[in-house]
Amino acid sequence: MARRSLNEGVYLSKMNRNAGTIRLVKSWMQQLLILLGALLAALLIGAILLAIARSNPIRAYYVMFTGPFSSRFGITETLVRATPLLLVGLGIVISFRSGILNIGGEGQILAGAVTAAALALVLQSWPAPVLIPLVLLAAAAAGASWGGIAGWLKARLSVNEILSTVMLNQIALQIYLYLIRGPLIDPQEVAYGTGVPQTALLPRQVWFPRLVPATRLHAGLILALLLAVLVYVFLWRTTIGYRMRAVGAGPAAARYAGIRVEFYLILAMALAGAFAGLAGAVEVLGVHHRALEGLSGGYGFSGIVAALFGRLHPLGTIPASLLIGALILGADMMQRGVSIPAAMVMAIQGLVILFVVSSDILLRQPELLSRMVPRLAKKR
Amino acid sequence: MEHIIQQGLLVGVLATGVRLATPFLLAALGEMFAQRSGVFNLGIEGIMMMGAFFGFLVTFFTGNPYFGLGSSLIVGFLMGLLMALVSVTLKAEQGISGIGLYMFGWGLSGLLFRLYVGGITSIPGLGPLHLPVLSDIPHIGSILFNHNWIVYLAYLLVPVAWFVLFKTPWGLRVRAVGTTPEAADTLGVSVNAVRYQALIVGGVLAGLAGAYLTIGQANMYADNITAGRGFIAVALVYFGRWNPWGILAGSLLFSMADSFQLWVQVMGITFPYELAVVLPYVTTILALAVSVGRVWTPAALGRPFDRGSRG
Amino acid sequence: MKRLVLYLLLIMSLVVFTACGTQQASPSKEPTKETPKETKSEKIKIALVLPSTMDDMAWSQSMYEGLKAVQEKMGKDKVDLAVSERLGNAVDAGAAIRQYASQGYDLIIAHGAQYQNVLKEIAPDFPKTSFAYGTGFQAGPNIFAYDPQAQEGGYLLGVLAAMMTKSGVVGVVGPVEAGDAVKFNYGFQQGVTKTKASVKVRVAYTGSFNDIVGAGEMAKVHMDAGADVLTGSSQQAVGAIRAVGERPGKYWLSTDMDQSKIAPNTVLAAQAYHWEKIVSKMIELRKQGTLGGQHLILSFSDGTLELKYNDKLADKIPKEAKDAVEKAKQQIISGQLKIELPKK
Repeated sequence: MARRSLNEGVYLSKMNRNAGTIRLVKSWMQQLLILLGALLAALLIGAILLAIARSNPIRAYYVMFTGPFSSRFGITETLVRATPLLLVGLGIVISFRSGILNIGGEGQILAGAVTAAALALVLQSWPAPVLIPLVLLAAAAAGASWGGIAGWLKARLSVNEILSTVMLNQIALQIYLYLIRGPLIDPQEVAYGTGVPQTALLPRQVWFPRLVPATRLHAGLILALLLAVLVYVFLWRTTIGYRMRAVGAGPAAARYAGIRVEFYLILAMALAGAFAGLAGAVEVLGVHHRALEGLSGGYGFSGIVAALFGRLHPLGTIPASLLIGALILGADMMQRGVSIPAAMVMAIQGLVILFVVSSDILLRQPELLSRMVPRLAKKR
Repeated sequence: MEHIIQQGLLVGVLATGVRLATPFLLAALGEMFAQRSGVFNLGIEGIMMMGAFFGFLVTFFTGNPYFGLGSSLIVGFLMGLLMALVSVTLKAEQGISGIGLYMFGWGLSGLLFRLYVGGITSIPGLGPLHLPVLSDIPHIGSILFNHNWIVYLAYLLVPVAWFVLFKTPWGLRVRAVGTTPEAADTLGVSVNAVRYQALIVGGVLAGLAGAYLTIGQANMYADNITAGRGFIAVALVYFGRWNPWGILAGSLLFSMADSFQLWVQVMGITFPYELAVVLPYVTTILALAVSVGRVWTPAALGRPFDRGSRG
Repeated sequence: MKRLVLYLLLIMSLVVFTACGTQQASPSKEPTKETPKETKSEKIKIALVLPSTMDDMAWSQSMYEGLKAVQEKMGKDKVDLAVSERLGNAVDAGAAIRQYASQGYDLIIAHGAQYQNVLKEIAPDFPKTSFAYGTGFQAGPNIFAYDPQAQEGGYLLGVLAAMMTKSGVVGVVGPVEAGDAVKFNYGFQQGVTKTKASVKVRVAYTGSFNDIVGAGEMAKVHMDAGADVLTGSSQQAVGAIRAVGERPGKYWLSTDMDQSKIAPNTVLAAQAYHWEKIVSKMIELRKQGTLGGQHLILSFSDGTLELKYNDKLADKIPKEAKDAVEKAKQQIISGQLKIELPKK
């Protein structure tokens, strides 16, 4: 029975194959050009929307694109967003490469965040060199368990992972809200009767050091970058990594080769969850210094986008996270720069995603590209 | 006395559950056609938001909910077409283009709401449809036959969808392009055309599900009105194993659990309400986990059709 | 054809980029320095950061309208108002607040309890800027914390509910059991039971702040279970109000702002927040050189909270009900009546 369920993984494995060919087909220069072309096309349609919203598209885009890069504030804020995006994205890369789709990032982030906050509060007096690794490991373990549930349900009971992760996100959110308004609530909030759902401030020694003074850029970025390299090594230079990719490329063949497919599916989902849980912990230790409402911030979804922009490659996810981070910040600054409704920001992001995924066809079918841009093709 | 309360509770839970299942049922039946044809549309939530908004907007300006309903269907059609263009013609990765469609739908509906309405306003909705005889049956009458007509339509669509999918030539084509597109292509079926049609059917039904939220249920519009219902509908398609009856069972299970938790809370039974709120989600996962049985998936789900690369 | 499209795209992009180039030279460029500009004129620049939208008919809109009223009173040329919405995520809110601060805004209001953390971090970097947030109590040298005593209005509405109910059951459609919602519900429950011990208060929570459809369904279930007077807070409440409006003879009691526009024949009364008074006070304090450090309380005693009856339904409310509410209000103002708050 379980064997049959693995056929569900087929469509993902097909995608992986596409991702594989993409890397072979095009030089990075052409990939970049196509990506930029798609971005431009999305922004042109966005310009029409901006015109409908009675604001000057040129001014709006000027703010959107210069905002994230024109000041120390913009650059650091972009990196602050890129950090959790990269972490979640790395988990997504692992799971996609193993033929399983993790859309439970939101719930896993919360599981990691609340575990990190609770542990750091319980072990208040422990020294940082012990406490920080412990907190991070615990958060990763919490995320891994939450993701692992979906992996286990899939591997053992053939419950589709999209179904289970959608449900698990909701369940995690309610448990999270219960914990931060109930057992973990800041005692001061109760004492003053304000009852804001958030935990107490974590002990100072667990706060991540700030990389640039007077900004929010924290050491979590370095951790994320290191992990990106580690994931690359893991997937392409270790036996386990090789087996996981084999499962992703074709579960039937992998099974034939004697690989325990179920085990690697659970592992893939658990690792994806671990990275999302880590992202939650990094947000707590690096940015907020406590667990509070609205912490996951949609990173569970935008992390998927970052991983796909990064062509499902751990190192490609690094620039992709920067791009998505800059896009989110820039679009948000546009709201203030030219005072357009916040909803516009969302619409433009949606357009960008639609155009960029659509442009993939040019990479998969290079003949289309050469028909469109003959000179570019000649260069090849 | 105790007996009356218990009976009242049971009737209440059932009546509320039947109503709550409607948007899930509509959206999931539409999504079922899309997935049966081999396209996984995660953008249902965005289509529902657009349907909900345009249904509201047109009703707001014309005062006639039927005009609103019509425009929801048109918007659903267009959004389905957009998804088809991206995922069938341009062969984009389906999960991710669905997320793109979701964000676009949410953003655009929010933007247009601000531009053309600019504040929370209520609209005339569709009142309950009184069915002669049926609505007057004691006890059961008020459960099954005291809703607006979209509710009945949703339940009526279950056998219709079953018939269309399994008993009509078009249904056969949809199933064929979703399982063995290469074979269907060899037999002269245009794989992409069928997928376009299935996605559009899905879009129209999602638009209707959205319209039900604004015109049938809330009689108003606010930002993020769907609140994740579209994603649940996608999950219910898996739950229902791509079968209309299975989807009906899943939608009812989820909604009854939701209705039960609402009633339990309202009747003043005290325990952490978070437990109550997660009840439908937990129930659905558990029900699926224990229902070990035949597991079948449209074999070509998520795979864009490419004439050149067989296999 | 496809080539044509591509050339078109290239030309368009050229136009966009050259346009950007000219834009760069224009003086509207934002200051890149982190220090705020000195504002010499009388004009005050106020920025508002909102967790939901400014038209949510609840928490966010009430503050936005308060600021509009301040602008109206002081003159449009005297107050510059900027708003950022949908910043429920603390990371984005932090960026917005810092950006406003570096653009030289004088008073930045982050309208939500969840912004306390972010403000504490940013405020020291901008010592000349005033920040404000609420609901909260932790002020800082240049941070005001405002704190509406939602339980007071809850209590008064509870008195009204107890006097108005015929079925003996009143229902509360709650969002998430925390913060202001809990304060309001506690007050409401006490108001009901102290007025008529026999009346049942049924409290339920949806687990969400913005699911208007879910709130509507919960209201329907409350009514099916016998409740005839309902209340509830947060922006999702509008959905519940509309659902109650469908059924004649059932009433709703509002909080955050006067919501009778949604269902004129249903909303009996509302606890309204007079934010304009609090904002005016902050502006006044700032003029006198106090940039923050105060815990500002909104309550019935100073008129920053108010109970508003819906004129359209005035004849539906018996005189003894109004008298009972008025008596309780006087007791709250004089401090005779203490409303308990949740304690662990």
